[in-house]
Amino acid sequence: MKIVIAGAGEVGTHLAKMLSNEDQDIILLDNDQARLDVIDSNYNLMTWNGSTSSFSSLRDVGVSNADLYIAVTPYETRNITSCAIAKRLGAKKTVARIDNSEFLNPDNGAILKDVGADFLIYPENIAAQEIAVALYHNWARYWGELHNGGLLLIGVKLHGDSPLLDCKLRDLPVKTHDFHVAAIKRNNETIIPNGNDEIRRDDIVYFITTPPFIQEVREICGKKKRIIKKALIVGGSRIAQRFAKLYNEEFHIKIIDNDRENCENMATILPNCEIVYGDALDIEVLRENNIYQYDAFLALTDSSETNILSCLTAKEFGVPKTIADVENLQFLSQAENLNIGTTINKKLFASSHIFKILLDADESNSKFLALADAEVAEIYVKHNAKITKSPVKDLKLPFGMTLAALVRENEIQLINGNTHIQECDFVVVFCLSGTIHKIEKWFN
Amino acid sequence: MLSYKKHRYYINMPMLLRVIGYLLVIESLFMLIPCIIALIYGEDSFLDFLICAGISGACGGGMMMLKPKTKEMGKREAILLTGMTWVILSLFGMLPFLSVGTHLSVSDAFFETMSGFTTTGASVLNTLIGIPKSILAWRCVVQWVGGLGIILFTLAVVPMLNYSGGMQLFNAEVTGITHDKLRPRVSYTAKGLWGVYILLTILLIVFLSFSKMSFFDAFCHGLSTISTGGFSTSDMSIAQWNSIYLKIVMCVFMFLGGVNFSLLFNLLTGKGGNPFKNTAFKCYVVIILVCYIGFVINILIEGLAENWEYLTIDPLFQTISILSSTGITEPNFHDWGSISIALLLVMIVMGSCAGSTSGGAKVDRFVVLFKFLKTEFYKMMHPSTVTTVTINGKGTSGSVVQKTLAFLFLYVMVICIGGLAMSLMGLPLSDSFFCALSAISNTGLGTEVTGLSENYALIPDAAKWLLSLIMLIGRLEIFTILLLFTPTFWKR
Repeated sequence: MKIVIAGAGEVGTHLAKMLSNEDQDIILLDNDQARLDVIDSNYNLMTWNGSTSSFSSLRDVGVSNADLYIAVTPYETRNITSCAIAKRLGAKKTVARIDNSEFLNPDNGAILKDVGADFLIYPENIAAQEIAVALYHNWARYWGELHNGGLLLIGVKLHGDSPLLDCKLRDLPVKTHDFHVAAIKRNNETIIPNGNDEIRRDDIVYFITTPPFIQEVREICGKKKRIIKKALIVGGSRIAQRFAKLYNEEFHIKIIDNDRENCENMATILPNCEIVYGDALDIEVLRENNIYQYDAFLALTDSSETNILSCLTAKEFGVPKTIADVENLQFLSQAENLNIGTTINKKLFASSHIFKILLDADESNSKFLALADAEVAEIYVKHNAKITKSPVKDLKLPFGMTLAALVRENEIQLINGNTHIQECDFVVVFCLSGTIHKIEKWFN
Repeated sequence: MLSYKKHRYYINMPMLLRVIGYLLVIESLFMLIPCIIALIYGEDSFLDFLICAGISGACGGGMMMLKPKTKEMGKREAILLTGMTWVILSLFGMLPFLSVGTHLSVSDAFFETMSGFTTTGASVLNTLIGIPKSILAWRCVVQWVGGLGIILFTLAVVPMLNYSGGMQLFNAEVTGITHDKLRPRVSYTAKGLWGVYILLTILLIVFLSFSKMSFFDAFCHGLSTISTGGFSTSDMSIAQWNSIYLKIVMCVFMFLGGVNFSLLFNLLTGKGGNPFKNTAFKCYVVIILVCYIGFVINILIEGLAENWEYLTIDPLFQTISILSSTGITEPNFHDWGSISIALLLVMIVMGSCAGSTSGGAKVDRFVVLFKFLKTEFYKMMHPSTVTTVTINGKGTSGSVVQKTLAFLFLYVMVICIGGLAMSLMGLPLSDSFFCALSAISNTGLGTEVTGLSENYALIPDAAKWLLSLIMLIGRLEIFTILLLFTPTFWKR
């Protein structure tokens, strides 16, 4: 598939790298040659120096036969203009990054669609929604919903009080098989486990389960349910403002920011929230603002380092749930090892969102980017596929993958050794990054 | 338990060897071409070639069996792989020379193969009379493969390399200051370039077979001309056939062999527009015309013009042959005199466009430097002017100029050190320097020009190995090979 990405910013670059590893034809368009040079010499894609809203450069990159045009510069008007041009020049689908919730309204969206922007992504909005999900399910590190919530992927960090610790997966102290351990993350390393692997203290364990058994999973992990009422936000970034805007009724929100102008601005647009001017790295400021009383601490400044450190501080103050925005991908796995609760990354959200748009065309396979180095894929079982030949336990499947669940006639069931996969099922597979090609051949 | 862990190899040797395995298998397939030729002409070298192909294929196959823990390859691997590939392929490629017909010594056979792969075209064979046709064909096949680069060929056909590591290989092998991609994925770019190459080769062979040449000669010359190598099937080279038609065809295709293949690809697919907007191409054409005029003047002064051919096709042929680094000389070139020799030296260094099959320092680099000099002089008068070097109508960054300067400095260094080393080995001073220059530029004009002997057979073995190294340095554009000799490369 030919994909043109306009804008070599953080989101654009990340998408380009990721999609080029997925064997797509990528052309990255930007007008900063120095930035393009780094990417050009190291990745299997083509770069083009030109303006994203120039007719001639869009023609030069051959937008007329592009299957997807993604405009992800930081400026929404430029993105929309650029999509409009691309669409008229013949791009099949266009995606524009926006920065304004008004556009997401279905009626307004229709107007934009007329102009030429087929899909809109609003990374800050996605991030805000993910934060809310993390606050509702605050006992989990990661909460992913597949199949409209019919199937759940829950990542939990296990501390001392779980009955699961130090026992092999084949003899877990549970009677039922209402969940799967799909992956274990231990010190930067993701393990796709089999029956002989053990769960250790401080592992992040990823369960796949269905909604009726959430309670059970939570209990065996030794976690308590807690309802979050008050959230303290550090940093008045765009994500913070978006979150406050969307959820100021569900939560009592206080935002601390160290830019007076920004504070005044937020005070006018977010009348239901408390806005405080101060430096969040200063412990006195946190004390003054009664950090002890808050159920959740959200570090959403533009600096990943500040976010990680201030979450650690908040944990020391005894805040039960902390969430850090870690935009720097190198820090992401380091941050997960630290005791800072959930980490969010705008880039990963945006790219996984675009991925879904991309794969809409190809219905047999959709993929969710859950973790840094593992993937959850939903694969359609084709006629006469190898995987339908016998029950799962007799298949001699390759290592490094877990068949988690299947969807048959809209009914979701977990897979165990005796399950016999049939044609036309959708199978949810958990695997390490880059091994998906090996797995796909079982389904074709 | 299978775990995902970043295996941080210092150098991912298993993966490296595996890729080289692929390349060896491909080489063994190419060995089947002379094998078939031996079969057609009923030569008994058939079996020898089959054995050589078998050995290479088996070694390659064995290496392909290696199971690396990770497929990751970084810059370090790519550079090492490129260097190793060319050496290892030459080692296997020399097997036929050791066993079949010629029975060369190891030094001679390696020199001959390296000279082939780098499209230098310098030979140690005293005469081609009595040499089996299969060997003659193998020499030309080797040049053809080396012309555009075997790694590039592999990138086109082996999907395994179609990822970011392949990009590094592409950068390490393809000539030029910067590298144009034709298509987003490196395998398509490689396919495009090889497509153009194969098309030109077929056209050339067809055109040549209309001349007085036999089909076998046309085939061999086709392969060695488009790759701007210059191996022939006759001792007298193309003078054997003495045909104006032949010379014109050769001129056209040597010229095309010296043009940037990306440019040719774009022209063929109708995306090119006016080729004269490409600065390097324009200069290439201008340089050819200027040198041609130079030769004509020289011939007139020396009073050598016996008929119109001496003033038209002969000097033009000579110009293109040298500039494109094919290195075929006119039989009476010795008589042309010292101005021609001087002109020749300049042309050898100059070479033709980057991204072509030719050697030399490439016109592109000289264009950059001359434009840079122009701006420097301008700045002396107007110190506060801000200027950039514009190539193809676009401004370039300062690092391009820096890279070019570093390249030319190394070019001169290699010639000086190589020349000195060879004169220590007992060669006359002028010959040693000329050989080094000819080797690094992959021209393959040899000692016959300076009058030492007909070919490279006489020079000592040590000098042959040194020249082989210099040819490789020249073909991979210096940095790739010299980097392997720097401590930084090996430092953990």
